[in-house]
Amino acid sequence: MKKNNLQNHRQKWSRCLSIALITVFMLSCNLYALAQAQKVTGKVTDAITSESLVGVSVYVKGTQNGTTTDIKGEFTLNDVNKGQILVFSFIGMKTTEIVVDARTTYEVAMQSEATGLDEVVVIGYGTQRKGDVTSSISTVKSDNFLKGQVKDAGQLIQGKVAGLSITTPSGNPSDQTQIMLRGITTLSGSTQPLILIDGIEGTLTSVAPEDIESIDVLKDGSAAAIYGTRGTNGVILISTKKVKGDMPATLEYSTYISMQAIARQADFLTAEDYRRLITEGKPLNDYGASTNWLDEVTRNPFSQMHNLSLKGGTLNSNYIATANYNVAQGLFEKSYDDRLNTRLEVNHGMFDGLIKLNAGIIGDYNKNFNIYPYRQALIRNPTDAVQDENGDWVEHPGVFQYENPVAWNEETLGENTSQTLRIHGSILVEPVQGLRFKILGSTNRYNYMTGYSETKKHISNVRDGKNGFASRSAAAALDNLLEMTCEYNKTFGKSAFTVLGGYSYNDQIGENFYEDNFDFPTDAFSYNNMGTGSALLRGDANMSSYKSSSTLIGFFGRVNYNYAEKYLLMASVRQEGSSKFGENNQWGTFPALSAGWRISKESFLEGVKVIDDLKIRAGYGVTGTEPSSPYMSLTRLMYSGYVLVNGEWVPQILPASNPNPDLKWEKKQEMNFGLDFSIYKGRVTGNIDYYIRTTKDMLWEYQVPSPPNLYPTIIANVGEMENKGLEAMISVIPVKTNDFQWTASVSYSGNKNKLVSLSNDLYQASNDWFEAGYTGDPIQQSTHRVQIGNPIGDFYGVKSIDIDENGEWIIEGADGQPKSINDKVEEDKQVLGNGLPKHYLGFNNTFRYKNFDLNMTMRGAFGFQILNFQRMFYENPTINIRYNVLSSAYDKVYGKEVLDYTQEYVSYYIEDGDYWKIDNVTLGYTLKDNTISFLKNARVYFSCLNMATFTGYSGIDPEVNRMGLAPGNDERDKYPTTRSFSLGVNLTF
Amino acid sequence: MKSKILKYFFVAGLGLTMIFFSCTKLDETVYTELIAEQFNPTESDVASVMGPIYSNLRNVVSGWAGLYDVIEESSDAIVTPVRPNGWDDGGMYRRMHKHTWTPEEYHTSALWTRLYRGVTHANRALYMIETGTLPIATNKENYIAEIKTARAFYYYLLLDNFGNVPIVTQFDVEEGFLPAQNTRKQVYDFVESEIKANIELLSDVNDATTYGRFNKWAAYTILAKIYLNAEVYTGTPQWAACLDACNKVIASGKYQLEPVYSDLFKTNNEGSTETIFAVPYDDIYGDWLHWHMKTLHPLNQSTYDLQESPWGGSCAIPQFINTYNSKDKRLAQTWISGQQFSSGGDSLFCNMGADKMGLPLNFINFVQSADYSAEDEGYRMGKYEIKMGAKGMLSNDVPFFRLADVMMMKAECLLRTGDAGGAATIVSEIRARSFDNPADANVTGTQLQGNSAYAYGFVENGVITQPDHSGSIQYGRFLDELGWEFAAELHRRSDLIRFGVYTTKTWLSHRPNGAYRSLFPIPQDQLNNNTNLKQNDGY
Repeated sequence: MKKNNLQNHRQKWSRCLSIALITVFMLSCNLYALAQAQKVTGKVTDAITSESLVGVSVYVKGTQNGTTTDIKGEFTLNDVNKGQILVFSFIGMKTTEIVVDARTTYEVAMQSEATGLDEVVVIGYGTQRKGDVTSSISTVKSDNFLKGQVKDAGQLIQGKVAGLSITTPSGNPSDQTQIMLRGITTLSGSTQPLILIDGIEGTLTSVAPEDIESIDVLKDGSAAAIYGTRGTNGVILISTKKVKGDMPATLEYSTYISMQAIARQADFLTAEDYRRLITEGKPLNDYGASTNWLDEVTRNPFSQMHNLSLKGGTLNSNYIATANYNVAQGLFEKSYDDRLNTRLEVNHGMFDGLIKLNAGIIGDYNKNFNIYPYRQALIRNPTDAVQDENGDWVEHPGVFQYENPVAWNEETLGENTSQTLRIHGSILVEPVQGLRFKILGSTNRYNYMTGYSETKKHISNVRDGKNGFASRSAAAALDNLLEMTCEYNKTFGKSAFTVLGGYSYNDQIGENFYEDNFDFPTDAFSYNNMGTGSALLRGDANMSSYKSSSTLIGFFGRVNYNYAEKYLLMASVRQEGSSKFGENNQWGTFPALSAGWRISKESFLEGVKVIDDLKIRAGYGVTGTEPSSPYMSLTRLMYSGYVLVNGEWVPQILPASNPNPDLKWEKKQEMNFGLDFSIYKGRVTGNIDYYIRTTKDMLWEYQVPSPPNLYPTIIANVGEMENKGLEAMISVIPVKTNDFQWTASVSYSGNKNKLVSLSNDLYQASNDWFEAGYTGDPIQQSTHRVQIGNPIGDFYGVKSIDIDENGEWIIEGADGQPKSINDKVEEDKQVLGNGLPKHYLGFNNTFRYKNFDLNMTMRGAFGFQILNFQRMFYENPTINIRYNVLSSAYDKVYGKEVLDYTQEYVSYYIEDGDYWKIDNVTLGYTLKDNTISFLKNARVYFSCLNMATFTGYSGIDPEVNRMGLAPGNDERDKYPTTRSFSLGVNLTF
Repeated sequence: MKSKILKYFFVAGLGLTMIFFSCTKLDETVYTELIAEQFNPTESDVASVMGPIYSNLRNVVSGWAGLYDVIEESSDAIVTPVRPNGWDDGGMYRRMHKHTWTPEEYHTSALWTRLYRGVTHANRALYMIETGTLPIATNKENYIAEIKTARAFYYYLLLDNFGNVPIVTQFDVEEGFLPAQNTRKQVYDFVESEIKANIELLSDVNDATTYGRFNKWAAYTILAKIYLNAEVYTGTPQWAACLDACNKVIASGKYQLEPVYSDLFKTNNEGSTETIFAVPYDDIYGDWLHWHMKTLHPLNQSTYDLQESPWGGSCAIPQFINTYNSKDKRLAQTWISGQQFSSGGDSLFCNMGADKMGLPLNFINFVQSADYSAEDEGYRMGKYEIKMGAKGMLSNDVPFFRLADVMMMKAECLLRTGDAGGAATIVSEIRARSFDNPADANVTGTQLQGNSAYAYGFVENGVITQPDHSGSIQYGRFLDELGWEFAAELHRRSDLIRFGVYTTKTWLSHRPNGAYRSLFPIPQDQLNNNTNLKQNDGY
């Protein structure tokens, strides 16, 4: 009986398999079933431009009878019956359906998809019509991306999403953009948004910018709560380019070449300045040469990008393969960042769409190196020579922290490489209309390796006797994901709902290794023969390794309901557990609820023709933040240090930290109120959002008494932070004709941050403040104060108000009276400004005239201050004896006296940071139709990034670091930002 | 057909769902550390578990702003003045010098936490031994006695610096436990009784097995120390008890004076015949003795072929240097002065401040003030041998207690109890190795009863502009003797307090700032975190 059953099963399986194989075979051979009916022809055009559309997929609904439009936009279909439906689909256009009647010729004008309400928005574990969305979600399509030499996916949407502050504070080609959503919400938790590439966690560089179709940002808590613990900092959903419908094999090649120049150079003294100052009696050293040290170590970097993509498919099967090679030189000699991104994705539908299979591979290979001799190039005496008459590097070993930057470059070798490989696949089953089961699995493997070495001519030997130094490090990470979802949507009369349920399992393993060694017999091996160094044998070298793992499990569900497209409701909940927390607090619940009312659908507005759409919405959602490292709730013991016992040094064992078994999730609750509108037939659209986000149970290194605690701090859930803000985005199409169109959009966001408390039941805050930020050596003061009741980002120090006849600071004392800085006491310190902008503004314009298009992205930040470290350290003549300084160092302070005081953190160096940037200007020309016979499409463009900055700030770039607890510090070593010019070509074959 | 396929998918889907829905386990795997619950130590782990009690002393003594800085920079022999290359650091060194430190001061807060870390390590080891978590078959009570003595040593340092501190002897306290504060007298009594109760269980040998650990003689030295300062700690002097404890150590015959003074501080000074209790250091295993880095000029890197460039900060206060007898070899054995050369013999030249640029780098016995000093000002502390090619840390052990220390305590007891002659004999015996001519080494009882040679007074631009007129110091010469013998050995503060100088006299940029400054404040963060604590008087 059992055996029979088994056999039966086997037979059925093999039958299924053969049917599947046959189906695949049939599909790939494009063998369509024949039938007797009429022949239809037609032409497809763009409804706005009236130009013919090439490559539009045309097929008869429910059959495999289909074709694509030719270069004139025309199509022919045989065997079409009356009453059947023709489906026209094309990327960027709304899918159009026409019922076949007696006619044999059809003129079809396709509408652009971007008209709004029917546009599909990615909402996490699914999509939704934009008109039905009840939370704050922003979508940016590829047409709207920043053009030219962009660093990563983040820069593509810089200035395009209200409330999402994306900064590029560094010109380093290996540095990513900084992303902050709706203010600072945490003290020590992660500030990284969750980045999902087609639903699976990745990074901003996982796929090439050129391979991205659209980016959706889930901003408010009600939208992000479906991602539970990882949703607090927003969710960025990156959708890669897909093939839709029937498409002949299409090859696309795009490329750009790019030149960069330093955007603004710090004005340091030249050799001539030195000689002039010496004649004026300043005790400076003239070594006799004239060297521009910055020129010696920098260049105008040249970069190039090549993107090749091949895609195609039938109605049921399609593929896309992309290779993207990006070679970026850094501003500094020898620094570079090369990246190869590849992606292969295959989709296949079976059994009339019953089953859909998807599989893909994403690979990312990166190689970079950067020595960064910037500081030494700035502070080096310009009268010094690079090399002496013997060709040896000129060094002055006795001068503290003073090293030849060219020698650094030339006597250092290094390489950092990383590979990421992601393999993913999913099976979607739709047994009945509207019911879908999906299983998705992915594995992501990351490997990283570095090598670094310094020769015997490096300062590490010339001064410190290292006799050749080398290090190697390696890291690996494995990230596995399994997700199962079930979705059902149904319409009853005027009611429509979608129900989603799912399970997600994610485990991560991270490990790393580091070693260094010195005292090598030869420079010949660089870092490739670590064992030949002697320092390791003597116990002078370092070696370390670490491994950790964690698991995250989530159950989630969501209901979307709408009545007559008028009353909209969304409710979701995620129950999530993380191994990083104490046994009693591993699981957390993250609910969300949002509702919308499309007033425009009400009868009383139906007659108002001006209004296309008007919707108000409100939402509430809870999201969480994980601690960055695992194991913090456990009592861990470590081997650390040695103790001398009977003449032997014995490794000792001791607790690693004060454990906190009650550690739990940091939770953020967010209320969001929004308004969406579209008037004058989509000519004016926009949305406005107001939010209040409160973070509770903030993770923080809390002070505890010692005794009885071994260590003075414990990580605990204390404190509360609040962010309130307003965001608005308004798009206008002032001019719209066949030949000319102008689209403009303005985005605004403002945020107010406040630290509400730093206590909980068990732990009462010792002080209502703590210090953050650090000036560094030799000033050695903290720059910021984080205080209950105040916002994050407050600069805190003494306020300079004048200078005395000796060139020493006069400061404002605690009593408001002037006093000498020499009498400074702690109480004199006060809040000197804030490094977080209060307002962000973006202004984007697109002009299209016939085949030309011009894009202009502008953005600015207002209402904040910057601590100019470069001035604080180098606008000071007292250090000129040893180091080069800014030429402004000899200017009179407050117009009175030249400074004669040690480097000091005073308010004189805090400046207003307001700026307005013309960030990206792109001029493009598109060749259409059959201008060149073998090309389907061609486009040439010229683009400039970081074109101009209007600011009163005297430093290099007012776009400085805004992350963490010390925002607004313009570090003296900040990698100078660059202006880049790119020339690009996109070709479609 | 379709429905059959469907059925299979349902079955498969249901199966998978069952598997994964049951997969809700969130166990943690730890790879690079041990989880306490899973750590089952054996007797061979005793050294590893006890280790932190002792090794923590390295951090206490020479951590950043450690005990050395707390004691020496707040006293009259060493200062860290502001330099052209920095050393202001928000005024923290100047506040130590001027006795204007606050309850938030890093120096004293760090000292408190480091000392109590030692106490907690001791409590934890005791807990593990007493509960059997760390099983010890034989000599269990000897280990317990040693740990309790080490804990008493930490409490001695807390008694000396902070006075009114909580005595905690338990490790397994309930969550949120806030210890109660004890008076200085109670802490004194605790240290005394703990040592007396355990001293007979301690080893009486002095060899490698007890080096860097508490044997019976090190314990007697702790007793001698608290008795010597008993009047300061409790108001009641204990000279006889101190004398008795000193005699126990001396009579043991386990220790002899080093014939050459500087051998006590050389790189390989472990096992010195004079050292009673050492804090062992090593430039590989035992970090981080960095005092040479803090005192030397960056250019001195080439003098000693150092692997790192020194930081050029602290130096001797000239008024202290001026008390030395020029024939006293300890002057040159303790302080680096004069023209500096590279190891190859080339002269070094100043390169930091405008005032001295290009002039020979010559350490002069002159310091403008704590608020500003040029790069060549002040003799540098070179008592602990700086070996050629040294790293940023040294391997010299710090002799915390040594025989000369015990002998000087005995001499002081004699001096203070009327036997000046007996005291002079001991002092002369110790001085003998530091003078080429034996006659120069001899002191008399009368001399010891005389005033100090220290020209106290306020200094401006390197010159004493306001001499101190607060009167002579009783046994001032004996205080000078202590200064010369134990300079830079973490002695000066308690000696100055005992001789009534610490909070009454003026030196360099320091003026007296209240008698209450003889105790450091309870750190503000401790007061905030433990509501049972009350601030020391005056703060």
